[in-house]
Amino acid sequence: MNSLADLTIVEAGKRMSAGEITAVDLARACLKNIEARNKELNVYLEVFDDVVAQAEAADARRKAGESHPLLGIPLAIKDNILIEGRRVSAASKMLEHYVATYDATVIRKLKEAGAVFMGRTNMDEFALGGSTENSAFGVTKNPHDPTRVAGGTSGGSAAAVAAGMALGALGTDTGGSVRNPASFCGVVGLKPTYGSVSRFGIIAAASSFDQCGPLAKIVEDAEILFNAISGRDELDSTSVDSTFYSPKTHNKKIGVLRSLFAGEIDHITMGHFEDKLAKLRSAGYTIEDVEIPSASLALSAYYIINFAEVSANLSRFDGVRYGLSLKGENLWDDYAKSKAEGFGPETRRRIMLGTYVLSSGYYDAYYGKALAAREQLRNEYINLLNTFDAIATPTMPDIASKIGELGDPLAMYLADIFTVTANLTGNPAVSIPMGVVPSEGKELPVGIQLTAAHGDEAGLLALGHELQ
Amino acid sequence: MISLEEIRNLATLARLKLSGAEEESLQKDISSILDYVGQVSTVPMPERKQDAGLWHNVMRPDTPRDGGALAGKESALIAAFPKSEGGYNVVRKIIQKDE
Repeated sequence: MNSLADLTIVEAGKRMSAGEITAVDLARACLKNIEARNKELNVYLEVFDDVVAQAEAADARRKAGESHPLLGIPLAIKDNILIEGRRVSAASKMLEHYVATYDATVIRKLKEAGAVFMGRTNMDEFALGGSTENSAFGVTKNPHDPTRVAGGTSGGSAAAVAAGMALGALGTDTGGSVRNPASFCGVVGLKPTYGSVSRFGIIAAASSFDQCGPLAKIVEDAEILFNAISGRDELDSTSVDSTFYSPKTHNKKIGVLRSLFAGEIDHITMGHFEDKLAKLRSAGYTIEDVEIPSASLALSAYYIINFAEVSANLSRFDGVRYGLSLKGENLWDDYAKSKAEGFGPETRRRIMLGTYVLSSGYYDAYYGKALAAREQLRNEYINLLNTFDAIATPTMPDIASKIGELGDPLAMYLADIFTVTANLTGNPAVSIPMGVVPSEGKELPVGIQLTAAHGDEAGLLALGHELQ
Repeated sequence: MISLEEIRNLATLARLKLSGAEEESLQKDISSILDYVGQVSTVPMPERKQDAGLWHNVMRPDTPRDGGALAGKESALIAAFPKSEGGYNVVRKIIQKDE
């Protein structure tokens, strides 16, 4: 494949500025790949019918003298981010026909920059899952091996970048939902510091974890996207600007959370991981094994809080003001019918679990304890990252699973062991491709995850750059 | 193991209508998930109040603002109502006369 869709955002921007190519050329190159493979891979739930017109408008803006690294760049947008006048469903039957009434702040910023929106990408329903198998509209297949999942919950966004259907993408990350599909699809995925990107206009999953983050081919592209969408927003009171955290002094030291994965990871993946550490070592970094005493509690704390917040957030979908609305015998029946038909099985399971952990008599035993574990973990990370520039682990314990392979919900949750911590603690974390693992004649990508101090995206991405 | 009765009670609290088969599969899944996440019970509760690290109020001046991102979007919001009449959202009558 030798197409304009293979360009990075950096290269495409340079070539557009030089007048060698246009935004329309880029959009058409992506549309060609969509035409060829979207039916098979189920990456986009909808490809917008005005892509070329958007690209023409971007070209006109460039002609009029505007410039921005994202001007005319074709992007894929996860289906839980609102774009005014377009459908946005969170891959749920509940919102199948819902049309966004306003732009999310991240979309407003990308429109100002002049980006071109290709379409809305598939995901796990309401961002609950880790494989895009929970989408109400079918699984997204991995571009590297269509018998395997693309990961999740931002599976469509990662696959769009990997398959040349967009040059970059936005996803959201609640427990690894940007980093997991980035690892499985062989692209870069950044989960920014909690609060550094506004969530206004993004359909909530678990509000104390959710962050919007970029997926891209290279670290520099992810940085361009992050810089474009980040910043304090009056409409999201959890958002902060870049001066909120004091600047971090770097010591050229990387911690490796080895006890968490020793013996659990196959030797080829471990080989890639050690190679990346060696690369850092030769760039002058000291690599040391470190311990996070509460690391083994992360998954339990994460899922308890996730269930609690998801069940609270999703209670708004009652069929009264918007979304699926079914009539029963009485008001309770209206609610129950709309929720039963509108939500998929995993969503219903989490609502039930959230209702349980928040119910009287269990609240202290589960939710209260989970918050205490979270605080413990957060303090351990803050202490460690006073000395170390970043903590390294593989992003995922394994390559992308076969579609339908992980039937048991608990087994699915356990695969998030390395990613959930950054959401519990609010730290920024990035997944960077570290190599491929051969399996059944295919080559499946795996990623390395780096986690940095709060607000230190710049340091994190600089490190990521070293690893490329 | 959590009982079927508890599952039904949770479904009522969560306003969900579940089939018999789903009640049974949830009974199994929820029990095994709760067994796993129950390991947080070993975490000691902090004696002091939690510091303001994760949770603190964000205040803004109490001054009138225009509709912000939703200004002028009334008709789009109304269009999303399942049923509307004269610009109002038509909802089920819930207070009924005793018979």
